[in-house]
Amino acid sequence: MMRKLTLLTGTIAFVAASIAIGQGTGDAERGKQAYYDYACYGCHGYQGIGRRNIANRASGVLVTEDVFLIYLRARGEQNPDFSTQTMPHYPESSLSDEDARHIYAYIMTFVDEPPAVEDIPALQDIVDDAEKGSGQ
Amino acid sequence: MTKKTDDGKPQISRRVFLGSGAAAGAASVLPGGSVVEAQEPSATVAAAQAKAQPLSPEQMAREVGAAVPPSVVEPAVKRPGSDLMVQVLRDLGIEFVVSNPGSTFEGLQESIVNYGDTPNVMPEFITALHEESAVDMCHGYARSEGKPLCALVSGTIGLQHASMAIYQAFLGRSPVIVLIGREDLGRRQQHTADDIAGMVRSYTKWDAKPETLEDTLDALQEAYRQATTPPCAPVVVVLDAEIQKQEAGDLQVPEYHPPVIPTIGPADAGRIAEGLVAAQNPRLNVGRFRTPAGIRHAVELAELVGASVDTRATSGPMSFPQTHHLTGPGADENYDYVLGLEQPGAQASINGPHLRTIDDRDLIGIGFGNIRPPVIPQRDSSGAFDIVADAEASLPLVIDAARKKLDDAARKAVAARTTKNRRTNHDTRVAMLREAVEVKRAGWEGSPISTARLYAELWSLIKDHDWCLSSGTIFSGFHNVQLWNHDRPYSYLGMYPAAALGYCLGSSAGAALAARARDRIVINIQGDGDFNYAPGSIWTAAHHKLPMLTIMHNNRGYHMELMYLQHLAGVRGRGTDRMHIGTTFRDPYISYAKIAEGYGMKSEGPVSDPNELYAALERGVKTVLGGEPYLIDVLTQPR
Repeated sequence: MMRKLTLLTGTIAFVAASIAIGQGTGDAERGKQAYYDYACYGCHGYQGIGRRNIANRASGVLVTEDVFLIYLRARGEQNPDFSTQTMPHYPESSLSDEDARHIYAYIMTFVDEPPAVEDIPALQDIVDDAEKGSGQ
Repeated sequence: MTKKTDDGKPQISRRVFLGSGAAAGAASVLPGGSVVEAQEPSATVAAAQAKAQPLSPEQMAREVGAAVPPSVVEPAVKRPGSDLMVQVLRDLGIEFVVSNPGSTFEGLQESIVNYGDTPNVMPEFITALHEESAVDMCHGYARSEGKPLCALVSGTIGLQHASMAIYQAFLGRSPVIVLIGREDLGRRQQHTADDIAGMVRSYTKWDAKPETLEDTLDALQEAYRQATTPPCAPVVVVLDAEIQKQEAGDLQVPEYHPPVIPTIGPADAGRIAEGLVAAQNPRLNVGRFRTPAGIRHAVELAELVGASVDTRATSGPMSFPQTHHLTGPGADENYDYVLGLEQPGAQASINGPHLRTIDDRDLIGIGFGNIRPPVIPQRDSSGAFDIVADAEASLPLVIDAARKKLDDAARKAVAARTTKNRRTNHDTRVAMLREAVEVKRAGWEGSPISTARLYAELWSLIKDHDWCLSSGTIFSGFHNVQLWNHDRPYSYLGMYPAAALGYCLGSSAGAALAARARDRIVINIQGDGDFNYAPGSIWTAAHHKLPMLTIMHNNRGYHMELMYLQHLAGVRGRGTDRMHIGTTFRDPYISYAKIAEGYGMKSEGPVSDPNELYAALERGVKTVLGGEPYLIDVLTQPR
């Protein structure tokens, strides 16, 4: 177990050292089309905010391009009960390395900076009303 | 029809000529239509006119379809059977009969709109454009009010259109009375059958095919009893067309006897009351009652014993108020007595009876098959003391028994417990909301519009009004569950019971039927896939001025199916970039605002700029509060 952990840590360190975090070799513009064609938006929204948020590099699998590719290829849960709620498996025959790298580059452009709750009356009022004990 | 003469000029037949003239004359007086300008007849027409033999006034009238029938001095039938049928429905409090007109029930339809001192009131005839919509409307109304309407459908054909919605109502345990017109003497034998109701018997609770007027009146009353007696479900009565038209003579409407609802016995009521009163930390698990009365009883019991409450109000109608001070985990989550009300309870539950206990129905032999139990094994959640009985009808017995057992010491303990529970539930809710709004603000400025923003901004506009959220919200993010307060019996009507699309628009219109007379508005956050099955309810809402705000959750696709396909293609290692085929609405996009406009409903959109959303919602809410429906097409994120 310890040996596997050491190996994994070493691999990640090697990958991280090889490629700067968050940078990749893909083309974000081509990735935009691929993100749409492969319907990534179905779960992650058109700008990375959806059922699973990936904007602002929110997921650990986005740490580097290669980690992202490993993740795509190594989806183990191939027959889940609710396949709409799990990340699909993407072998190379289904999504090429090239397109995957473009998608990664596009995801890296997702920056979500919403206003603070205090600056969104529709949300702040909900909390304020609850604090005042509105309801019954 | 248009031939040429020997010299090549077109020759117009006499019937076409007369028809054209009549049409032009009629068009000139059609209300609301474009006016056809008077034209000089062409030379050809003038020649044909000269050759034609002059018609007598009677012949002319007959040709143009304006013949006046001979006046009837004395109607052959003075007291039609269908008048009595309407009287039965009126006495039962059936507010609406929802129908798409058919040639097997003109007797009943005529009586609905003409019978009595206040014709077309209780019931009012509601025009649906599809039988599935008609039954869905009854279903939505039943979920909102806890009582049935009638759907009136025509023979074998109307019932087949209605069948999907009947199935949905059956799984939704909703009381709906389906009336089927049957005409055996007509030319269209395809529209009748010996056993019309047989085709939906797998998923209805009861049906009848009365052969006399007297039996028909009894059957209508029995249908109401069956539909509203738990387990509630759709029922069917086949109405013979000739019986609808026959002379009723001296026949009177029979006296109605309400159903007997199965309750627990006094001994069980005492045992449960003892458990609740003796407990240091009692709890109620509240499911869905039949009517608002069940909720009132549950609130009374919870307050009487100071129990914290788990509610299903964010899953569907007729449950405990979500923001009641006792709703929540309570001060201590180690409950020592849990009573389930239409839900499992660890110590006792009053639940049912269930549809599967109806053993005198042919649930297998119709060709549809039985409704199968889930493939995924269900956890056995039965309590130590389960009673098959209706919780709503049983609660007064428990309350009465508990009240008698409460002495001064117990009442002080209840007061202290209530104070603690109130404080903890309040704090828990505020903490949950603080966490939730941090999540909901993500993507706030995004376009297409975030579904969380849609729910949050809409809430700010409706929270001070009496509202009903009629559509299932699982596909649009379920944001109402956290951001809205579901405190009324009809606050949220829940998901499609059969998980089948084509339901929300009709059921929302049905909820809006209830809302129209009650100064309430209906909010329908409408999926685009669901919309396209039967959009005709848009016209029904416009025609009947239903206070229904439809907001399109327009994600331009069947996204659940898209995700299923994506996953499978990945497993098979091919073509995940082709999964839009058959799952998306592209090339062309659909304009829902234009569809609504075509049906006569005020509308706007598509709205894709988040900064324009609030103003659009404001216009929509204002219009609906004014008594008219409105549709806003909002381009949203997929979920």
